[in-house]
Amino acid sequence: MLGSTIINHRQHVGLQKLSALAEITRSSLGPNKNYKFIQDDTTGESTLVCSCFRILESLELTCSVGQVVYETIETHHRVYNTGSGCLLFLAGAWSHAALECLHRGISVRHIISAMSEGMEICLNVCRQCSISIKRREVSELCPFNVSTVKDSHAHQQLTPRASERPFNLGPQKKLKLSRHFRESESPSISTIHASQLCSYEPFFPDIAHIAETLSHGCTDAMNLVVKASQMQSECNQQDIAFDVTKVVTCVLPGLVEEQATVLPGCVVLVPAEQASVAHHLKEQHLKVALIHGDLAATYRHLGYNRPKGIQSVSDRLDLSRLSKEDTWMEKVVTLLLNLEVNVILVSGVASEKVIECCWRRNILVVEKVKASILKAFAVSTGAIPVTYATQLSKHCVGTGLKVSIWRDLSNNDRKRGTAVNITTDGLNCGLVTVILTSSVHAKLQTLEDQFWACAYRLHWALKDKALLPGAGVTEMVCIQHLQNEAEHDIRNPTESNGVSSQQNKPRTPANPYRDVVLTLMADGLKDYICTVMVNTGVFSKVGARAAVIQHLQDYHGTVGDVAAKFSQLFLHTDTCYNATPTSVESSETPAIKTYDNLCVKQEVWRKALDLVFLVLQTDAEVITGVDRKTNGAQEDLMFL
Amino acid sequence: MSRVVKKSPSVCTDLPLDNTDICNKLSLLKQLLISCFGPAGRLKQIHNNIGGRVISTSTSSVLLSALSSSQPFINLIRTSVLNHVSRFNDCGLFTAILCLTLLEQAKQSGLRRNVSIIVNKHLLGLCTSYLQGQNCGCKVKLDFCSSQYFITLAFSVISSKPACVLTEPEALHISKLAVQAFLLTVPCNNTGVARLGKTLTVCVEGHPVLDSAVFPGLLVDMPDIFFLNAENLHGRSLCTVLFSASLAGDLCELGDGNIELHGDADTDSQILDQLLELGKQVVQDGVNLFVCQKVIHPVLQQYLRGQSVTVIERLGISLMESLSQLAGRFLHLFLIPPKAYGKVKELTIKQFGSKTMLHIHPSGESAICTMILCHRNDTMLSELKVVCQKTEHVLRLTLREPCALMGGGCTETHLAAYIRNKSASLLGCSQTEYLLGAEGFCRSLESVAAALDHKCGNSLTDLTHAHYWTLPADVVEDHMENSLGVCGCGLVESCPSKKWTYLNTKYPEFSPAPVSKGTHLQVRVLDSFTSKLSGLQVAVETANLALDVQYIIQDTN
Repeated sequence: MLGSTIINHRQHVGLQKLSALAEITRSSLGPNKNYKFIQDDTTGESTLVCSCFRILESLELTCSVGQVVYETIETHHRVYNTGSGCLLFLAGAWSHAALECLHRGISVRHIISAMSEGMEICLNVCRQCSISIKRREVSELCPFNVSTVKDSHAHQQLTPRASERPFNLGPQKKLKLSRHFRESESPSISTIHASQLCSYEPFFPDIAHIAETLSHGCTDAMNLVVKASQMQSECNQQDIAFDVTKVVTCVLPGLVEEQATVLPGCVVLVPAEQASVAHHLKEQHLKVALIHGDLAATYRHLGYNRPKGIQSVSDRLDLSRLSKEDTWMEKVVTLLLNLEVNVILVSGVASEKVIECCWRRNILVVEKVKASILKAFAVSTGAIPVTYATQLSKHCVGTGLKVSIWRDLSNNDRKRGTAVNITTDGLNCGLVTVILTSSVHAKLQTLEDQFWACAYRLHWALKDKALLPGAGVTEMVCIQHLQNEAEHDIRNPTESNGVSSQQNKPRTPANPYRDVVLTLMADGLKDYICTVMVNTGVFSKVGARAAVIQHLQDYHGTVGDVAAKFSQLFLHTDTCYNATPTSVESSETPAIKTYDNLCVKQEVWRKALDLVFLVLQTDAEVITGVDRKTNGAQEDLMFL
Repeated sequence: MSRVVKKSPSVCTDLPLDNTDICNKLSLLKQLLISCFGPAGRLKQIHNNIGGRVISTSTSSVLLSALSSSQPFINLIRTSVLNHVSRFNDCGLFTAILCLTLLEQAKQSGLRRNVSIIVNKHLLGLCTSYLQGQNCGCKVKLDFCSSQYFITLAFSVISSKPACVLTEPEALHISKLAVQAFLLTVPCNNTGVARLGKTLTVCVEGHPVLDSAVFPGLLVDMPDIFFLNAENLHGRSLCTVLFSASLAGDLCELGDGNIELHGDADTDSQILDQLLELGKQVVQDGVNLFVCQKVIHPVLQQYLRGQSVTVIERLGISLMESLSQLAGRFLHLFLIPPKAYGKVKELTIKQFGSKTMLHIHPSGESAICTMILCHRNDTMLSELKVVCQKTEHVLRLTLREPCALMGGGCTETHLAAYIRNKSASLLGCSQTEYLLGAEGFCRSLESVAAALDHKCGNSLTDLTHAHYWTLPADVVEDHMENSLGVCGCGLVESCPSKKWTYLNTKYPEFSPAPVSKGTHLQVRVLDSFTSKLSGLQVAVETANLALDVQYIIQDTN
């Protein structure tokens, strides 16, 4: 059975839903985010959320548009870990724009083609505004400065110089050499070709500086990221400045937030008995076994089917015989003692008997270790992960593990009482654990999210090797470009449309509504900037709007200035609100303190527009499995 | 105590096409499908009423499988179109819309059912022989020396599905990849029976479309690469053994019976010993790559890895089939005859987003390739995957019949003009009846073309080539030739000497001329010849069958 609803064209319900959903995220934009309580009426449970992704996660969205939105945000968050709020907000703003277009009688095809063009313009702006963070030479901090091209017609562009200019980051303190240079004694040095040198061109940006500009208000979280990256590069031979895949978080409730810190290796919480083993083992070089699975007699590997219908028969009654589990245990313990294993890291769970048995022999058993941690220790200790403890042999056992007790938290919770830090001595695998603490339990999730957002912002910046001017500057330039394009259309209505039409398809009829759509798109971005400004707390809604419009008018046609001056406007708000304004600020140096990620911004914008397009183009819902008797009363359903 | 449940009598519907309820449902279905048609079509969000996954689509295969009806008459048409789609993967909406319009036209014409059937049958024959004939004016011969037509064909299919949400460069990129994949699956230096290879699709969500790529050989997802020893991999030909049987070390299916075992017997370790025996032999025979479709016992894995054999488990049936084609061997049994080893050129590791994959390179030509599809979100990615499979199929069909039809509605209007120009006298119907039936048939074809336009513009056809044109709604007629641009397929340009007529108006009969070879224009939209021809046949035959249905008898118990 099937029901189907036809969505009214002029009042596109899907778009209305999308823009309504986006309102949720209004308060979570910008550096000053407001917390929200989400309460479940049926269970009475409530959660404290801060980011757009967590809000959507906690809401049970039943409508189809809501599900599409959640799916998009979820995918985005999984990959990028930042930018979800911006995604949803812009999806809402642009769906509002699309709705407005429909109201004015513009056809879907025209909306889509003009908005795609608008997106191209914005993405181009991103490319041109981006600032390389490849380190070139020693020079002082240079402010973002984009020259202008006054001839502002369809081809108004930023000068390419902007993208060439390196983002210089303070005097180079230490020149770390690549591996090729370290082996300078080797005769091969003379044979290195220029091309090889290029590929090894040192790429050591000052991480701390970049990180600071990307903190977006989460200074504490970003400080932890910087610490983590410093710790990684200390123990890392490779030239990777920051490896986000080798960072894990450990959340500890009950401690004040200032106690958050970064430790090498991993941190596990163990109960009191295990802690005593850890005490015993500290400051020793330990041997480690890695178990990929459960540590229990009855455990079988994944994909093993337990035989059904097997009966065990015996010809005599033997009460003295050991049970199967005891036999196994004996075997395992003997093996462990022979191999002199001190620590066992288990990805699954360990049976209580095993834990107790090992405890008596001073072997530390750590359960539920993440696969990534297991992998890191496999690399750094030389251990080979096995599925069954009985598989262990000499070459499976790793060496050089160290255990220390980080903190005893046992007074409140006997079960997971002590935080034990497991590291490898000497050269580490680069694995770093960030300990996040808060005395407010409900805040931990947010703190963890903020940390990961910061970590990924740094990760993407290093991957892009470029940054975008933040604090609304890029958006401002986009608005200006969009408006210029629109004005150009109004001035020359008969001419075929601007940039894109000159490149391809000269025969396609011009889009008569391009100016309207582009203007509305720009309005969406304006709304975004204003919301961020309002969220900083300095501007009122009206004030923010006025400031933005004033700026656009003042610097009409001069792109670079609008960027630089606008950043000043924002800087002012930043210093008011950032708890720790780090760099010295004076009116002469309009240095932009906030930067955004290039690839993240581009993806977020594209995804937001994708959502709008998906919903805009949908004209009906097909609901399968509808029972006519129960849903027959609903008038808007048609049955097939 | 047993209870007798009274059986309710069967429901019989007389002349289903005269039934208002059925007619309403048919027109609803038609409306639904027409709104999905073509690159400007609207999408449908498909979901169940308990909040399942939402699919946004305009693809017939997905849509029609979801659109099941309580009315068997509707399902008859639906199944018939789905059958066509499962065979040819393309032109599903065309088939369904044409079929439904034919039914509607037959009803409107007021002709007797059997007369409509005779006329439809005759006209189908006429179309088929014209399309297959040498001097067909709407056909393009495909030239295998150039990839241009193939890319156009692929591009037409891919850009006809707006739910993929692709920009033009992205659509072009995917089209090129589709053609590349297609070419990789065609074996070239094969004597004897040539067998087409296979393209496997791997979807990576959350990454830009332009990251999509095609690789020869197989890419296998490797979730736990910490077992992979990178040094073992490169640069040498690998002797490969493939198992489809499970090597998990468990007892195979016992059936319903029970087995009694002695308390001391340890079946697990005995089976494991057997497995290790197998492992030893394989190592002795110099195998470097050990692949199992199902699970391999960890102890066996450990042993093999210790002997520097690369182990891949849980590959799944479809990958296994391709791998056996790639390596040239397949093995089901435990015992290994010494000749049963395959060969693989090398293994490398590739990273796509969060996915780490093992790339198995074929030794020599294998006609197996893997397509990595990336898209920004799952909804669009799943549509893209369907569309890519469709494209692959369409490209393969060109091997059977190396030609394509002009797309964008031009073939339909061209055929309609061709039919109008042909007169015939048929046994069993008068000339007036024939003309009435033929008019209905032509209008059906034309309305399929007109269905491509969703913006309430005007549909036109020119009076020389009978191609399809659209005129935006807001254009004044004086500027017609300026605003028309090119026809649907892009092969004919508007010029002042050209004459147009609105579709579904009377126009003088003429023989539609083929487009001259000298045109400087490139065809922009192409349709698959084989699947469109089949779609035409299926549509007409289904319509004829539906016209022929006298009663529907439904058992309601």
